[in-house]
Amino acid sequence: MNNRSIDLEVGGSTACYSVPVGPVHPALKEPIRFQFELDGERIVGVDIKPGFVHRGIEYMGMRRNLIQTLYLAERICGICSISHPLAFTQAVENAAGIEVPPRAQYIRTIIGELERIHSHLLWAGIGAHELGFDTLLHLVWKVREKAMDLLEQLTGNRVDYAIPIFGGVRRDIPKEKAPLAYEALDYYKRLLQDLIDAFLHDKSVEMRTRNIGVMTYDQAVALCAVGPTTRASGVKKDVRVDMPYLAYADMDLHAITPEDYGTEPIGDVFDNIIVRLLEVGQAIEIIEFCLENLPEGELTSIPKVPALLAALKKASGEGIGRHEAPRGEVFHYVRLEEDVEEMAVWKVRAPTYGNLIGWVPKFLGDEVADIPIVAASIDPCMCCMDRVHLVDGVGAESVKTKTELVRLSREKTRRICG
Amino acid sequence: MNPEQILSSFKESLGEKVLDDRTVERKVGTVAPKSVYDLWLTVDRSDLHDAVAYLCAEYNPHLTVISGDDLGDDVAFNYHFTTGWGERYGEATLTIRTVVPKNDFRLPTICDLLPGAQTSEREKHEFFGLEVEGIPDDRNLFLPEDMTIHPWRKDLQAETDKQVKRLVKWEERDE
Repeated sequence: MNNRSIDLEVGGSTACYSVPVGPVHPALKEPIRFQFELDGERIVGVDIKPGFVHRGIEYMGMRRNLIQTLYLAERICGICSISHPLAFTQAVENAAGIEVPPRAQYIRTIIGELERIHSHLLWAGIGAHELGFDTLLHLVWKVREKAMDLLEQLTGNRVDYAIPIFGGVRRDIPKEKAPLAYEALDYYKRLLQDLIDAFLHDKSVEMRTRNIGVMTYDQAVALCAVGPTTRASGVKKDVRVDMPYLAYADMDLHAITPEDYGTEPIGDVFDNIIVRLLEVGQAIEIIEFCLENLPEGELTSIPKVPALLAALKKASGEGIGRHEAPRGEVFHYVRLEEDVEEMAVWKVRAPTYGNLIGWVPKFLGDEVADIPIVAASIDPCMCCMDRVHLVDGVGAESVKTKTELVRLSREKTRRICG
Repeated sequence: MNPEQILSSFKESLGEKVLDDRTVERKVGTVAPKSVYDLWLTVDRSDLHDAVAYLCAEYNPHLTVISGDDLGDDVAFNYHFTTGWGERYGEATLTIRTVVPKNDFRLPTICDLLPGAQTSEREKHEFFGLEVEGIPDDRNLFLPEDMTIHPWRKDLQAETDKQVKRLVKWEERDE
């Protein structure tokens, strides 16, 4: 592609309304503010303001030892609670030159793919809800529980599985647990076609999502979009395929685009649904491969935590860790200094960060009623510091402290109680 | 694409402008291990725009993120690109590193080459106080609009720490 200049502005607009949507949202459970410029019902401009839950995790991580930071990394996101640790452990292992035993690589992959199944189903449910199709929401979320149950049976937790540690994994998947996994995979194999039918062969879903929230191939490349959002536009970009790692390096994989469903990629919301549902099928195949080929051997190369901490303290260098999370590429950059327990640098790039600016072309030209589903279409996840914005009646913005907020809320309670 | 070729083409095209380069080879796969590569380049900040322009013209890069590394008197910025996506084992990471002195804290924007760089450039502007010349939008992105501290600058830690400690103090007072 030669011409990289993408016009994000709509010229000659006669915008007469400016409508804020968020931070508390009709579309999303997490806070983000969109300031829309509207010409009648048509969106002609959008300004995006994230950061309402910025917690300064990178700042905190650079003041703790690496194992403490691993716990923080796990809590960057409640849905991607294996994706961030997977990218983080790989970054540290690459910087410190720590090997990971084959069995551990396979176990990491299995949990990573189970997360993809539950995350994509979570998204599909939210997508259905944004379309006003709540029957489908309840069906999809009921089906999702099977993956959550399996994760709990394998790791002990529904979220925050605490599986990866530098040099391996903390828990095995013993042989007697395998039938549970196969049962869950069979359950999904039986149901997947029904889900695909319910979403993709439904006239109202198609009418609400076809040609809505479009991001073209060129826009996806120029705006550096990631994950299913970019693959829906036909960009074959998937870290598991392009630069394999863990067990993905041992299997034959390809990046899923709408072409796998037999349609030309348009990059609209419908294509986003196609890609995510087909990736559930791909995740089932990957887990089956890993269970069948699970190598015997050690779980971790440095089992004792004090020895691990000592090895990490001695290490110096920089490393990059990448993982294709359900929402797209998670990227961690780490620089370690010798004889220092904390990291010198820790940079985390979550997928929504990459897709943030991609929202602009998706919104432009659409109508107000499409805002919720277009907002949800990139499967956003705002991971970000603990403070509150308060916008008063005249639009002045200020930051309130916790004490002030407590005082204000008590005042309000008294006022309501009379 | 052979990663050695990427680096040598860079050196051919940019000549002396490439101050330092290294290739890190990693083995992946447990059955038949294959190699993947991380490439690292250092350029002077006056050559950063040229280096990224060359990358965009030849290798169709994806900018993942820009990371900052406070070294004391200077801050090093790492532009983490990936190139060669779309092909099995075709991708390599390419990090272009440039060092900016704090007493002249400026870098040119690369948004004209890759519009997707805007999020990351705005983040470096607010968290480090870096002046990004030519950036289409320099308002705070993640931090509140009226916040003026730069949390990732180690020389400005006193101001940042004051705010962090105050936050913890409030928590205690609430018990």
